[in-house]
Amino acid sequence: MAALIRNLGARAAVAALASKHVVPAVGGAALRMSTCPPTKADKPTIRKPDAVARTHLSDFGRYVAECLPKYVQKVQLTSGDELEVLIAPEGVVPVLQFLKDHHQAQFTNLVDIAGVDVPCRKHRFEVVYNLLSLRYNSRIRVKTYTDELTPLDSACEVHKAANWYEREIWDMYGVFFANHPDLRRILTDYGFEGHPQRRDFPLSGYVELRYDDEKKRVVCEPLELAQEFRKFDLSAPWEQFPNFRNANPPAEVIPPQPEKK
Amino acid sequence: MVMSSLAPPQSTGLTGLAVSTNPHHTLAALYCKILRAVGKMPQESSYRKYTEQLVNERANALNNNKNIPDLERAVGCGQVEELIVQAENELVLARKMLGWKPWEKLVQQAPPKQWDWPPAQIMEPKV
Amino acid sequence: MAGREAVKRAVQQVRPILSVDREEARKRALNLYKAWYRQIPYIVMDYDIPMTVEQCRDKLREEFVKHRNVTDIRVIDMLVIKGQMELKESVEIWKQKGHIMRYWKESQDPKPTDFLSKFIQGVN
Repeated sequence: MAALIRNLGARAAVAALASKHVVPAVGGAALRMSTCPPTKADKPTIRKPDAVARTHLSDFGRYVAECLPKYVQKVQLTSGDELEVLIAPEGVVPVLQFLKDHHQAQFTNLVDIAGVDVPCRKHRFEVVYNLLSLRYNSRIRVKTYTDELTPLDSACEVHKAANWYEREIWDMYGVFFANHPDLRRILTDYGFEGHPQRRDFPLSGYVELRYDDEKKRVVCEPLELAQEFRKFDLSAPWEQFPNFRNANPPAEVIPPQPEKK
Repeated sequence: MVMSSLAPPQSTGLTGLAVSTNPHHTLAALYCKILRAVGKMPQESSYRKYTEQLVNERANALNNNKNIPDLERAVGCGQVEELIVQAENELVLARKMLGWKPWEKLVQQAPPKQWDWPPAQIMEPKV
Repeated sequence: MAGREAVKRAVQQVRPILSVDREEARKRALNLYKAWYRQIPYIVMDYDIPMTVEQCRDKLREEFVKHRNVTDIRVIDMLVIKGQMELKESVEIWKQKGHIMRYWKESQDPKPTDFLSKFIQGVN
């Protein structure tokens, strides 16, 4: 029942928005709600990106790069229509603040912060901020990089939602966030050592816990696996997603300044 | 959210957003402050250019439409109370931007192969 | 090798975590040590662990001495931050008795070293 009410409310809100919404008078790179229906795809299981939405997104990406040349290193579209802004680690707070408060962006909702670990790179960790603009019905992804010992600025002063996400990144990857109000572990057990999402953390962990009947409490012991259990073959013999073999290219770079009109 | 233009609305319909008593006055003051803050930036800054352009357009719409529903329709970015919130945010941003100076040159180039994807293609060992 | 590493580190311009020079990092480590030292009696009392205060202080010293060879300021800072977090977890009684007793690793038998005990335990 509650869900039904919420649904109705959401629909009413959308209707109200749609009735009020006129295309903004300002030209340039304003994000707009795309209203075109998706084109009919010959492969119905693969989503075809909408061309209008793509132009809007790449225009907006160029707009961000032009407004913040100090921080934006690269702008790209991934999976057809997902806009990514790749920034230098110094620019986390300015870029997020710009995307949140600027009239043309209004990405007021921080959906998630994710981490990626690629040990072969010089800066092995990527930190990914997913943002949502309710006003323009649009999403953007901001990526930056760091290593084990370089602190990143905390986004808590911009988005309150960043608090727990950053604790999660700290716990899972060991990326330190400077100026975080309350940085401590959130997912692992007290006394846990290491950061489980790092690629060099073994799948089985280092320790195992068991209840000790003599001591009447849980004790912690280093993990000992017999040699025959130590082999982890994780690759499957078949291709997982053959339909996507020739799907969208992983990323298309948006050049900073296109031809001037 | 059908508003009659005769009586002022009782509610914005949005939680935590009260009906503004004198939106024209508030908005005009905010836009003025934004323009003043943005005016301290260098002329070639794109942020300054775009913000000035946008705020001027909104200020024009504000001057030309004395009626609130007309103004909302002319700007097309939500109710007038939401416009006030947006302008407040922009003002905070503009003042912070003065400290950050984002129009300067790129602070740090990405290390080579930092943004290559998929990473399995990077065969060289860590530098 | 170590020399080359040191040169590379000196050349690298890096952002500090907390401390900007060795002296500051040393002070932070000492402060952390003192904070732990003062809290140990309360920790022993609160958690009701079967250890004396002296044993706990020996363990504290041992944990610090384990990292005595660390020279990178940022690594020291990171260790201090983690130690600080652990201290807070202990003082606020977020941990349980088992977590505190984990420092002593008491349920682990020391690895056999001489041939005969290795043979008896069946490890080689």
